[in-house]
Amino acid sequence: MSGLFLIAARNLGRNWLRTILTVLGAAVALIAFVMLRTVLSSWEVGAEYAAKDRLGTRHKVSFIMQLPKRYIDDIRNVPGVKQATWANWFGGKDPGKPNEFFATLAVDAPSFLPVMDELVLDEESKTRWLGDKKGAIVGDVLAKKLHLKVGDKYILQGSIYPGDWEFQIDGIYTAARKSLDRSQFLFHWQYMNDLLPEARRDTIGWVMTRVDDPSKSADISAKVDKIFDERDTQTVTMSERNMQLSFMAMFGAILTVLDIVSIIILVIMLMILGNTIAMGVRERTREYAVLRAIGFLPWHIRFFVLGEAVVLGIIAGAVGVGIAYPFVNGLMGKAIEENMSAWFPYFRVEPQVAIAAGVIAVVLATTAALIPAIQAGRISVTDALRRVG
Amino acid sequence: MSTETENEHEPLASDTQQVVVPEQYRKSAVPPAMKTIIELKGVTKTFVRGKEPLTVLDGLTLDVHEGAFEALMGPSGSGKSTLLNLIAGLDRPTSGSAKVAGNDLSTMSDGDLARFRSRHIGFIFQAYNLMPVLTALENVELPLLLTKLGSADRKKRAQTALRVVGLEDRMGHYPRQLSGGQEQRVAIARAIVNDPTIIVADEPTGDLDRKAADDILTLLTKLNQEFKKTILMVTHDPAAADRATATRHLNKGKLE
Repeated sequence: MSGLFLIAARNLGRNWLRTILTVLGAAVALIAFVMLRTVLSSWEVGAEYAAKDRLGTRHKVSFIMQLPKRYIDDIRNVPGVKQATWANWFGGKDPGKPNEFFATLAVDAPSFLPVMDELVLDEESKTRWLGDKKGAIVGDVLAKKLHLKVGDKYILQGSIYPGDWEFQIDGIYTAARKSLDRSQFLFHWQYMNDLLPEARRDTIGWVMTRVDDPSKSADISAKVDKIFDERDTQTVTMSERNMQLSFMAMFGAILTVLDIVSIIILVIMLMILGNTIAMGVRERTREYAVLRAIGFLPWHIRFFVLGEAVVLGIIAGAVGVGIAYPFVNGLMGKAIEENMSAWFPYFRVEPQVAIAAGVIAVVLATTAALIPAIQAGRISVTDALRRVG
Repeated sequence: MSTETENEHEPLASDTQQVVVPEQYRKSAVPPAMKTIIELKGVTKTFVRGKEPLTVLDGLTLDVHEGAFEALMGPSGSGKSTLLNLIAGLDRPTSGSAKVAGNDLSTMSDGDLARFRSRHIGFIFQAYNLMPVLTALENVELPLLLTKLGSADRKKRAQTALRVVGLEDRMGHYPRQLSGGQEQRVAIARAIVNDPTIIVADEPTGDLDRKAADDILTLLTKLNQEFKKTILMVTHDPAAADRATATRHLNKGKLE
């Protein structure tokens, strides 16, 4: 059997240029596939690494609707709730770089830090921020991008809350978990609230809650929502994971398109491989006839074709994944994390995606070879031997 | 070249009748020409091309004795290659019986025919038909992949076959590195490596110049005379036919 497999593999050396181009074509398709799958898996990384003991409460209608600030006290009184904090989406921009997107959140710092404990801030910065009403902290990725350092003055131009808002950078945080966006701009909710017109004051975007027992999350969520059922503003409470997923669902169409495109890429790859293998089989009809003449059985011929395809798939898989892995993790991933951290806080090829890509290459190559292999096994020996060339 | 090949195929019904005789016995005691090895009776082969049936062999009867070296001549379209294909087990007669090496080919399944070919037939083609990605040694080793022989034994036997055809110094060469005559010698080594009962050669010198053709014919004569191989050769070349011990002429599907 090994002798037969060796011959199958040797057939790839028959036309080096064609083999190299086929491997490259399949490898490029695999690289594109790996990149798209990485976009999809990175998109979901927030939900995947979400804290299990954290709940989110928002307006029942939409994220963009506000809740009364007093709800926080009601939520804190629900049995099983350990800590609760809140935040508002500020929607601020750097006036000098209006196209630079990063999340700007008004938070209640004293309760925010214990609830969002994956945010790592040194004690000195923490003390400085808690004592500085106009203070803000930024993620290390954003600080690098905007060239910010502790002590800098920084102005945000508000879109939801119009005007120029002045801050002082009190600290630069890092992340203890992959899910935390390292390009956020966080400042005191009280500072914002105090400067708002009377009518807009004392409203919050959402509440984040830590619970004693994650297994009781569903029960606690129901209790929280029940409190506000009869009030003017109803809420919906869910695990942080589900909250992330419901946020991502807004981009569902884009994700579906990416999903479909990744499958189309595989189909293209299948056709590239199928065409090459079919061409090879067609050219070798006479050789297969000779092999059949000297006693090889149809399954031997099919084995030659499929064996060659398997080797081709292994090489294409190794080249594709071998290029995609360092390219995405070493170059592209870093660039995306630095520039699109709000969407992709962690952009790396997951090992299972790399393994899947390798396996897919072999499976597709084998699938592409199935019909040519069946046909090669069925050749008429006498007809094929009669052919010239 | 005379040891029996351990073949992974199931033994055929008539294998017990086809005994590979030890070298010393072959060359002396029983004259091999006494035994009929190819026996065709009233063989007809009809192809259907479009809607019209075309009879290529027409009630043909033929006996070939073991150890013969026979040439088969005739104009194009006379049915020479079809006859060779039938004898080699590549095709079945439409009617009549074809017994080769004790096997009734007209009743055998495709799988049995393949096993018959691997055990009893050595093929030599006009266009050599070597695999370009394999060396001379590997090409000769090909038929042995169907046997239970280990890698070392296969290699040893292939080397022996290449020595017989005088190519011991070209074992590692690829077909593209060989002349036409040398390629045909490799093809002959491939044909004999399994120690077949019959060698069928379809225009073996058709693509060669006179000198190379003479060398190939000398080699075939050697295989016939020294190794007692039965050889059936289709040829258009009268000089090639002269090297055979008998020549038959085929015309319009009938032997003359």
